[in-house]
Order: sequence, then structure tokens, then C-alpha cells
Amino acid sequence: MTVARRRRERLLWGAGSVLVVCYALVPVAWLLSLSLKRGADLGDHRFLPAVVSLEHYRAVFQDPQFAAALWNSIGIAGLSTLAALLPGLLAAYAIVRLEFPGRRLLLAATLAIAMFPPVSIVGPLFNLWRGLGLYDTWPGLILPYMTFTLPLAIWTLSAFLRDIPWELERAARVDGATPLQALLRVILPLAAPGVFSAAILVFLFAWNDFLFAISLTSTDNARTVPAAIAFFTGSSRFEQPTGSIAAASVLVTLPVILVVLLFQRRIVAGLTAGAVKG
Amino acid sequence: MAAIELRDVSRRFGATAAVDRVSLSIHDGEFFILVGPSGCGKSTLLNMIVGLEELTAGEILVDGERVDALDPKDRDMAMVFQSYAIYPHMSVRENLAFPLRLARLPAAEIDRRVLQAARMLELEALLERRPAALSGGQRQRVAMGRALVREPRVFLLDEPLSNLDARLRVQMRTQIARLQRRLGTTTVYVTHDQTEAMTLGQRIAVMRRGKLVQTGTPQQLYARPADLFVAGFIGSPAMNFLPARLAGGRLELPLGSLALPERLRGAAAGPLVAGFRPDDLRLAADGETAGLCFDARAEIVEWLGADLFVYFDVALDGFGPPDLPADLDIQTGDATRRSLVARIDPDAGVKTGDRFRLCLDPQRLHLFAGGRAVGDPRGSPD
Repeated sequence: MTVARRRRERLLWGAGSVLVVCYALVPVAWLLSLSLKRGADLGDHRFLPAVVSLEHYRAVFQDPQFAAALWNSIGIAGLSTLAALLPGLLAAYAIVRLEFPGRRLLLAATLAIAMFPPVSIVGPLFNLWRGLGLYDTWPGLILPYMTFTLPLAIWTLSAFLRDIPWELERAARVDGATPLQALLRVILPLAAPGVFSAAILVFLFAWNDFLFAISLTSTDNARTVPAAIAFFTGSSRFEQPTGSIAAASVLVTLPVILVVLLFQRRIVAGLTAGAVKG
Repeated sequence: MAAIELRDVSRRFGATAAVDRVSLSIHDGEFFILVGPSGCGKSTLLNMIVGLEELTAGEILVDGERVDALDPKDRDMAMVFQSYAIYPHMSVRENLAFPLRLARLPAAEIDRRVLQAARMLELEALLERRPAALSGGQRQRVAMGRALVREPRVFLLDEPLSNLDARLRVQMRTQIARLQRRLGTTTVYVTHDQTEAMTLGQRIAVMRRGKLVQTGTPQQLYARPADLFVAGFIGSPAMNFLPARLAGGRLELPLGSLALPERLRGAAAGPLVAGFRPDDLRLAADGETAGLCFDARAEIVEWLGADLFVYFDVALDGFGPPDLPADLDIQTGDATRRSLVARIDPDAGVKTGDRFRLCLDPQRLHLFAGGRAVGDPRGSPD
């Protein structure tokens, strides 16, 4: 390969990467720009705000609706993650390590549940939840989130667990560990990248969900941010709440970016390297 | 310190028996070897002793107490795995300390024992390293160390050297032997390598297809193999086998005939297999006719410094090929001839293509009828 050709290739790759990054980030940048514009400048057709102002952020934080929604989002998404990961981990462990009849069927069934469109059950769920007193409560959202993310958790975790050398657990058992100790002290630390991946996926599902949140809540009791944003109003009936919506969207995007960046290294780290003869 | 006794131990998977009614006693402080070709059930048997595999039938006793229902953690045995199975997320120090932490030993005692084991295995400089940063030999020593720190009643080693290169393997072999003599802990060692078995073991049990074939000291197995399989499996290069038959009180071989030695008088009249080791052949002195002497032509000569192995062909004329166990993998030659090997004096100067005369000492001849050794103390074929 000639130097010129190699250079041309690198240029092409670079241009391609820039294109993809722009495609992904321009809407986010636009949102950020909108959130920083003054209310009067919102329709000025400029990409960068003429004057940077934090008035929409101030407005969002003064709105008690948003504070409640943020608290609901954090709590519900966090608890859903825990609720999906614990049974998910045990199920994945059983599927990978134990021989039992119907193992394949179970995996296929979990996949089938993941394929199920949420919109098809949201109506019946609405009626059911009202009957059971779960409507507009935290458990009312945590339950469907857990159900819909459990297959995802089981699949991700079983893929990671499958790669852990079986002999490590046997070694731990001979070294004097109970089955639970072997799981917690040897298998789980090695599965950590998988657990974090699954956790992020589940958390994002719950954090981003709009359908269940808008259908199964009615007040600040359990309304999460995506649903709450839809109820934003302008300061007067003649004003669009565009600025506040943009500011709120930026605010709920931040924790997600933070979580991913925080766990990224753990996900990438190949912890199992050197476990057995390599 | 413990004596292990297995009584009719079996492990079945569906219709197949991985381990079939094995009974043996391993003495206190003994270095005991389980050897056999792959798939013979030796690793399964080891896993049953440590408790990782359940018994279908039988009993396992340690110092007279039954342990086969105990959880592995309650058996006080340490094991070294073929893959080493050291924990990749822990440093060498944490790996060594892991079993002691689980046993809730005081921190000072853990430190003392970890250091002691590290010193014994020359791991002191590596204590803070992660397994990923270790060489194969170092990982192997960590695996050994994790077994040592426990000061267990029994050591179990499952092909611990099979992932090392040849030089390191020989080095670790002597180190393991030295450690075992020093600690005096009962040790069960599984291998498929007969050289490892012969050099390490105080006693060896040969297994084949889930069954125990013969148990004895390396010398006993070498000098008095109970059947064709043990005869062919133990010893390197393998024993020479030729078809044989009885005629008029004399034993006829493709090489000639000889008077049947006293020891082998019990032989039946059917087809027999005669066996002799490469070192039971020697170059004939001038004009020598004692025993069974024959001419041969050197096909291949292997010179190993102290030894000289000469491969030569023998025509089977009139004899069918000997009936040998297929899993021995020593079917050399075709239906009309067989390739044999002799170990001779390297100073004799035999070269490829040379003709030379060999003599076989009849006293060293093994005879097998129906696969079983004739004159075997355990009697006729079953």
C-alpha cells in the first residue's frame, strides 16, 4: 500500500467519523442552545444563542413539579434497576451453570417477553392498577419496568457468566466456600462488567420511558421527568414552554451521560484475562 | 494426615459408567498416582474424592470416617486444577489468602502462612501481581501455593503440569516430589503421562474405561503388568508385542522358539501374545546361542546420549497380528510384519541399515492369554 493511499484512507475514515458524530450530536447541541437562549430569542433562527441566559433553568428549578418528577425518576429507575438485576443475576446463573429440564425453553420465553410491545398491555394495566390501588404509585411503575427489562438483564448477564471459567467456582468450593460465597466472592466480581452493562441498560429503559409513565401516573406522586415535561406550561397561555422543556431535557440527560461515563471503564475492562491458562 | 479408602465407588451418567466399582486404599502420607488414557475416569474419580462430583454408588472414607456425603468445603482437602483456576480479580497474595479468609483465620496467621507458602514456592516477589501478569509456570506455582496454605489433610492434583512446556514440566515435577516428601501430606495425583506417574508415584493405580486395572509400585507395574493394557501403557518406549503359540512344550514366536520358562507353564494352548521390553534385548556376544537370538536390520536408530534405541522389523510369517487393546495406540507395522525396538549399548556403534544380532532373555518374557498376564498372581482371565 502506498503512503498516498494510506493517507487518503485515513482522511475518508476521519470524515466519516465526523459525519456520524455530527448526526448524533447536533440535536443535543440544538437542545442545549435552546435551553440557554432568552425566552424572547427562541424563534431567532440562530444556532448559537445571542445572549446566554439561565432563565429557563431557574424556571425549571422553581417549578415544584419538576423537583418531584426528578425525585420520582431517580427513585423509580434506581429501584427498577435493583429489582431487575437481582432476580436477573440469579436466573442467568441458574441458566448458565445448572442443568435443568426446560432451560432452553426458559431462555426462549424470556426473549418472547422482550419482544412483547408494551403498548399492547398498557390499557389493561391501567384498569388493573386502578383496581389494585397501584395506579399513580412507585410500585405501579417499578413493576412493569422490572418485567420488561428482566429478559434484557437475563440475556446480558448470562452472556457474561457463560464466559467465566467454570473451574473457578469449583476451586472456590474446594477452597472452603459455600455456593453463595463462591457466587459473591468469585463469580460476581468477574461478572461485574456484565452486571454494570445490564444495570445501565435497565436504568436507561426506566429513565427514558414515556409510555408507562404517562399512562400509569396522574400526579406528582409518581410522575417521572419524561411525563412531567409534557405537562410543562409557559409562563402565560400565549407563551410556548419550549425553553423550559429544553432546559429540563438537558437536566435529565446529564445523569445518564454521567452514569455511562462512570461505568464505561468497568465495562470495557477485560477482568477475566488470565483466569486460566492463556 | 489421612488415609483414604474407596469402596466400590461408581459414577454413572445414564447408561455409561465413568467410574465403575473402584476400590482402593491410599495410605497416610503416600504419593498416589491415578494414571490412564484420557476419558478413563481418573479425573472424575478425583472430583468424587474432593466432593465436586457425586457418587452413584459406593463409599469414600478418610481415616475411617465417611466423607462422601460431605460438602467439598468440609472435607479439608486442597486441589490443584489443570487450568490452575486462580482467581483473576485477586492479586497473588489475595489468591493465597482466599481459603484462609474463608476459614476465618486471624489476620496475623493468614499473613504468616501466605508468606511461608510464597517462600516455599519462590513467589515472594510476585505477591502483589495479578494473575494476568504471570507466566504459565508462575500461575502453576500460585495454584500450588493456594493448596499449600490450607495445610489440608489431602492434596489432590489434576494434571497440574500438562499446560507447561517440557523443560518446566520436568523442573516442577521434581519440585512437587520434594514438597510432598517434606510435608508428608497424603497426595493423589492424576495424570495421563506414564513418565510422570513412574517418576512421582510411590504407588500407581492404572485406570481404563472407568475400571481400576492394576495398583502397585512403579517397579511392580513395570516388571509384572497384570494385562496387555498395563504392559503397553507403562514404560517408554512401549513394550514390544509379538504373536505366540505353544507347540510341544515350546513357545513359538516369529523370531524362533524357546523352552517355556517355569514361571509361564500355566499358559493355555490358544493364541498368545508375547511381550518384552526394549531393555530386555541385548546385542549377542560372538557365537552366543543361549536364550532366543535372532538377526535384525536397523531401520531407525535414535541416539539419546545415554541410550540408543534401534527400531527393526520382524516378519510375522505364519502368525496373525497380535490382538492388542486399541486404546494403546501401538499398532505398528502391517498384517505381515511388526516394528520392534531394542535399547542397546550406544558404544556398539549400530547405524541405520546395519545388520546385527540380538538376544532375548527368556526370564524377562511376558506372556498374555486373552489379554491377561500368564502367571499373574491374580489368576486366570475373567
